[in-house]
Amino acid sequence: MKPNLAIQAFLGLYILIFFLYLFGPLVIMSVTAFNSAEFPAITPWECFSFRWFNEGKIAYDGQRLAGLVTDRPLHEGIISSLIIAAGVVTLSVPIGMAAAIVLTQVNSRLRTLFYSMSIMPVLFPGVIIGISTVVLWDRIATLGGDGFISELGRNGIFLTILGQTCFISTYCFLIFVARLQRFDTTQEEAALDLGASQSQVFLKILVPYLMPAIGSSAVIAFLASFENYNTTVFSILSEQTLTTVIASKVRLGISPAISALALVIICLTLIGAFFYEISRRSNQRKKDRENKVKMFSEVSENRLVEERPKFFRIPKSIFVFLLLLILAVLTWQQLIKNNMYGAECVEKAEASKKSNFADQLKLLQQNAESVETTDESEGNASRSNEYNDIFGDQNLFKDFGGFDSDKNEESENGATRSNEYNDIFGDPNLFKNFGGFDNKE
Amino acid sequence: MNSFYRKNGPVIATFFLVAIIFWLIFLIVIPQLYMLDLSFRPNLPPLLRGGPDDVYTLTHYKHFLYGSETSKDAYNYVDIGVFLDTIITAVLVTVINLCFCYPIAFYIAKLATPNTARLLVLALVIPFWINELLRSFAIRILFAGEGVINNILLELGLITTAVNFIALDIALYTGLTYAYILLMIFPLYNALESLDTNQLEAAKDLGSSTLRTHWRIVIPHAKAGIASGCTMVFMLTAGALATPVVLSSPNTYWFTQLIYQWFNMNDNWSRGSAYSIILLVVSVTFVLLMMRLFKVTIGEVVR
Amino acid sequence: MSAEVELQNVSIAFGNFYAAKNVNVKIGAGEFFSFLGPSGCGKTTLLRAVSGFLEPSQGKVLIDGQDMSGIGPNKRPTSLIFQNLALFPLMSVADNIAFSLEVRGHDKKSRRKRADELLDLVALNGQGDKKVHELSGGQKQRVAIARALAVEPKVLLLDEPLSALDLKLRQKMRTELRAIQQRVGITFIYITHDQGEALTMSDRVGVMNDGELEQVGTCYDVYEAPCTPFVATFVGENNAFFGKVEKVESGKVKVQTGGSSFIGQAGLGLDNKNYKFKAGDEVIMFVRPEAISLKGNSKKAQNSFSAEVKTIEFEGNLKNIFLRSAEDVDIRFSVPSSSDTSGMEPSKNVSLSFSQDNAVVLPTGALALD
Ligand SMILES: Nc1ncnc2c1ncn2[C@@H]1O[C@H](COP(=O)(O)OP(=O)(O)OP(=O)(O)O)[C@@H](O)[C@H]1O
Ligand SMILES: [Mg+2]
Repeated sequence: MKPNLAIQAFLGLYILIFFLYLFGPLVIMSVTAFNSAEFPAITPWECFSFRWFNEGKIAYDGQRLAGLVTDRPLHEGIISSLIIAAGVVTLSVPIGMAAAIVLTQVNSRLRTLFYSMSIMPVLFPGVIIGISTVVLWDRIATLGGDGFISELGRNGIFLTILGQTCFISTYCFLIFVARLQRFDTTQEEAALDLGASQSQVFLKILVPYLMPAIGSSAVIAFLASFENYNTTVFSILSEQTLTTVIASKVRLGISPAISALALVIICLTLIGAFFYEISRRSNQRKKDRENKVKMFSEVSENRLVEERPKFFRIPKSIFVFLLLLILAVLTWQQLIKNNMYGAECVEKAEASKKSNFADQLKLLQQNAESVETTDESEGNASRSNEYNDIFGDQNLFKDFGGFDSDKNEESENGATRSNEYNDIFGDPNLFKNFGGFDNKE
Repeated sequence: MNSFYRKNGPVIATFFLVAIIFWLIFLIVIPQLYMLDLSFRPNLPPLLRGGPDDVYTLTHYKHFLYGSETSKDAYNYVDIGVFLDTIITAVLVTVINLCFCYPIAFYIAKLATPNTARLLVLALVIPFWINELLRSFAIRILFAGEGVINNILLELGLITTAVNFIALDIALYTGLTYAYILLMIFPLYNALESLDTNQLEAAKDLGSSTLRTHWRIVIPHAKAGIASGCTMVFMLTAGALATPVVLSSPNTYWFTQLIYQWFNMNDNWSRGSAYSIILLVVSVTFVLLMMRLFKVTIGEVVR
Repeated sequence: MSAEVELQNVSIAFGNFYAAKNVNVKIGAGEFFSFLGPSGCGKTTLLRAVSGFLEPSQGKVLIDGQDMSGIGPNKRPTSLIFQNLALFPLMSVADNIAFSLEVRGHDKKSRRKRADELLDLVALNGQGDKKVHELSGGQKQRVAIARALAVEPKVLLLDEPLSALDLKLRQKMRTELRAIQQRVGITFIYITHDQGEALTMSDRVGVMNDGELEQVGTCYDVYEAPCTPFVATFVGENNAFFGKVEKVESGKVKVQTGGSSFIGQAGLGLDNKNYKFKAGDEVIMFVRPEAISLKGNSKKAQNSFSAEVKTIEFEGNLKNIFLRSAEDVDIRFSVPSSSDTSGMEPSKNVSLSFSQDNAVVLPTGALALD
């Protein structure tokens, strides 16, 4: 199949667009993580900063726009996500393995039924699995009285593990089924014949053979559990996981800190993919070499001259890296030239907003009453009340100081904070956004 | 049973049995059945469950169809509307995904060199490992009032004021298409890869046009993959929650959000269950339909 | 340590299909016994019944006089070498060989020692640390033998272990197997569809067809005195003349076939007595290719006929000459390569003869298909 030039060009363009569609949003999101503005955007570009990875910022309405490092709920969410993922892996890998092995042993009529039942959970919407787990265990907890069972039945983490295990076991099951299809069952018989007991056959023959499948299903189960939302949001009850934390953040207002988190996850994925590719290549090379050796030993007249491996071959991907590097350097220079980088810039931006605010504040004070009545959105009105409350309530500031105990200049913080809250008045866009979200709630 | 024990030895056989029964019965069958049961019961506080009021009733399903007793409308236009909207959108998203992915899958499977193909596959997988919520978030940034798309359109002079893509649900549709695109490509790719390239050449040799070759040879061959991809995408789209949470406009609901509301905000679990059952029935019907339509077995659908 | 194996009325059914039908045989301790039969005749099935992977539907398997029913393969004093060897690909050669010791809880050192001994026995010294996939076909074969011997079984069961090897290696391994059997002195039950293998290695052979054991005997008996037409045609080459008994006198049978009549010996039945024929019985007369010669070369040849040469085939040490007799029977005979065949060009008529002592007359029955 050699398509003609026009088709080829069209196809090339199509693929380009496709991958642009696939990666464009992610790239833009990643870039917004470095913009110091409190709304994730590329334009207007305020300053290049790492604040969303570090300390974040306190927003106008007293809500803290936490950076990654200071975001306590996020950390707690990650920890419970890890606990859940560990639980899911320990349950679903053995379950998937057992089911796949038994599938090979049952007769063909039972097999169809068994297989259909086993793959059903992936055909169920995730929300339904979450709901059914919760309703069942709530009933069990009610019936179980006050003891351990009722506690278990109302423990979000436990329920989430069960709910996720329900369908993640199917993923594992499918991986094991694929691997077992290539298993030579006479190996088991040979081991039996050599005097091994059934358990020994399982442990010494089958499990080693299934090891790669155990590994990959554990990874898949872990990742699937870690990023699950649909089931978790129901079964987690009052606890929080990474995904529910992200969801509530996104719902409350979109913050560049989420972009920062996404960028971290993207980087981890890329690193993972990179190492996967490296290990795959080295495995491939090893296999090739082994095959070659075998071929040489089998061909008695050594007519094939072994090709000497080149010491160093430049991979084509290096050009992509170079290109990226050049781009990065260029952007960097541009940033420096325009003074759009670093703490100074951030300070300047804040200062300009502050002065902007000062002007507006004067205006506001002059027209204090008219603001209340004339402003088009009622959200705005109630907000401005809230701000007044905040200003009035000294305790609140203390509270916020307590949030980042790692910073000791509390009073100064308070001062800059109050400025920050005021910034918002200069930014009508944000209000619109918040109004929109509130309607939905 | 006996031979099962003999074959696996007592310890391992018991482990197998326990694991399978735990999974199939306790995790899959009983919760679903209990939820089905609950959906036919009135919404009672936990302590009254099992009491004299706990009788079978169709109120929740009736509510879905006719609305609450106090409403004046003959039918529950809101809920039915959301439901139909969800299903129709899911079907549309599925079809768009199929059309959009087919050329890519075909390219990777048949036209690209093995090395390119592998890299492309890897490149396809990477976004998939990033949380659905975060991917939707990326789309949200893209479509925001001052987002990239609005800016580009303004710059080009195509529009004069920023378009609210979120209110128009364009962001939602894009996000849903974006979310499960992988689950369309991979089944297609797997199916197309097994197609013998010689067949394509033979068809060409016999004077078949490219379109005809695809229609008569490639698509029939990829039947199972198409069925599988469509089923997965439809199921996931219809049952999606993360993407609508991030991207739906304040006045649009996805059916799962309705379920979520009954469940978490209104604390009416049995109604939430009833709505879940409705969603489940639709999903299962769709799977059966696909199986019938494409004449494939369930094993070919899920791989 | 070797043991006697006895199959008593063993039948094995898969659903309605009988893969083994009423098999009776007694294999002596220390004997090299081969089951010979075409593909799909039930050899593997029978062997699996001996090793314990299958329970016979009827009948019993006795090892050393002890009924084996209900005893699993891991408890029987047998060791099976699988048709595909079934080596463990994830273990080293030594670990493969010492696997049976490992599962019995022997320590590492004694395992290694035993593995080295066995590697010596099969002439693979110093290869213990290799991975299985690094071995050649013949070496894998030997590892499988060593692994099976590591348990010190009383009976070694071999399921076509040489079928995957090329001809040269197969011939080499035959002698080696025989030598190993003599060294360890245990009972070998060997399965093959290659009669050359069976005849060169075995003390006795059992010929199977369609689940039935048709004949048991020494290699010589089976070759020279087949009991059934199947055995006659399956073991070695044979020319078959279909015909009717003309008359019987003093052990000699005169058979009318086509236009001519030949004299032959009545064959031996399973009960080791000659078949009793009477005039008019439908019979087949079998004559080995090497028993046929050109007329006049042999004084003793009482039967003669003429046939037209079709082709001559060169097969190394032999020449096979294919002819068609005047009665339209396909004939094949072989002469040493060195002999002069200049007079026999295709489509020429030649006169052939064979001795009555070399002609075996058997009742009609199924022939082996070639
Ligand atoms: N598990 C089984 N279920 C049903 N039929 C079987 C089973 N195992 C074997 N058979 C049938 O029994 C017959 C004998 O099989 P067996 O494997 O014993 O043949 P074999 O003599 O070893 O052949 P080969 O030389 O090809 O290995 C075959 O017709 C086969 O189809
Ligand atoms: Mg066999």
